[in-house]
Amino acid sequence: MTAPPVDPVLLGSIEEKLRADLRPVRPRPAAGVLAAMLVAITAAVALWGARTFGFYGWRKLGAGAAMAIFVPLLTAVAMLAIAAVRAKIPGARRIAHPAVLLAAACGLMVVVFTAAFPDHRTDGFVRQGWPCLRAGLMWAGPAGLAMWVVLRRGFAVDRRAAGVAIGGLAGLAGLTMLELHCPNFRLAHIALWHTAVVPIAAGVGYVLGLKRRSTPTFSARSAAPPS
Amino acid sequence: MVRYQQGDPAAVTALVSTLSPQLHRFFTSQFVSRRFADDLLQETWLKIHEVRHTYRAGEPVLPWIYAIARHTRVDHYRRTRRVEDREQQMERLPETAATAPDSRGVDLEAALRQLPESQRDVVVMLKVADMTLEEVARATSSSVGSVKQKAHRAYEKLQGLL
Repeated sequence: MTAPPVDPVLLGSIEEKLRADLRPVRPRPAAGVLAAMLVAITAAVALWGARTFGFYGWRKLGAGAAMAIFVPLLTAVAMLAIAAVRAKIPGARRIAHPAVLLAAACGLMVVVFTAAFPDHRTDGFVRQGWPCLRAGLMWAGPAGLAMWVVLRRGFAVDRRAAGVAIGGLAGLAGLTMLELHCPNFRLAHIALWHTAVVPIAAGVGYVLGLKRRSTPTFSARSAAPPS
Repeated sequence: MVRYQQGDPAAVTALVSTLSPQLHRFFTSQFVSRRFADDLLQETWLKIHEVRHTYRAGEPVLPWIYAIARHTRVDHYRRTRRVEDREQQMERLPETAATAPDSRGVDLEAALRQLPESQRDVVVMLKVADMTLEEVARATSSSVGSVKQKAHRAYEKLQGLL
């Protein structure tokens, strides 16, 4: 596997082009700081949304059920926040693909809901569920936007994975808001309409991640006529 | 890398001259033409330059560099494919990079060609770039276990082929 040495003219040309645009840059904040900012955004959006609509769900929940729901929810938010930050840092350690983490988080929440809410009635399933899904997605939007602002200086080597992670985390903000607000404790309602906010928001993130970021190439730059 | 972020011109020379040969080898190991590898090297440096702020002092440099290099290669490949599809050009086999004429080298190259791209990447990073398992895992956005598995499968295949 021996290859000829790199053309010195090419190396010289690369150096020259890098030097032409060489100015000091501020390194990104530590990954932990960025992840903490994402968790704070999730909490702020969820609380803001619940304050706007009313904390009816939170008031109706007992202490045990609140612990059972919000501890795993916060764990999922923290894991996804770390995954989202790492997806925007080249060469960062990855525990699992964000989609896998997200599927695990949704699965965990459905199990928790099944254990915490024994009401299996399904009357008014769509009529009561649709407004919850809409409200959850409505609050996931600003959460995703704020997260994108925080991570905009990052560089995703896998844009789709980054989109899923950020979208999923925004979805978790919507889900948290619904848990604080919605007083409907029927299992089918919560397990489907509330949890659905997360995969839908992740799907939106995935689609946005498909969009190519247009970066000028060296050849495009060097081929451009002088202004 | 930190001096490069601070805008030191000497750091540019040091980085480009130290890292370019192994990056170029990484691209030629994918059996692309010499010119194609040169283009990829240039594009990789442009990308490194654009996103140099995403590196943080104290973190390993090689996984960061190779993650960007892999991304550039995939991006370039997709772009080229799109242009080729649009122009409906006849597919031509690329002229592969010139290699040393010893028969062992040619055999190894032929054997590497048989490997799937992900396994080839892992072998090249481990054996040519001399990176650790942890560094390769970071560069390929996978776990150390997955890298070990890919390397093991690749060595098994290479053993059977050589």
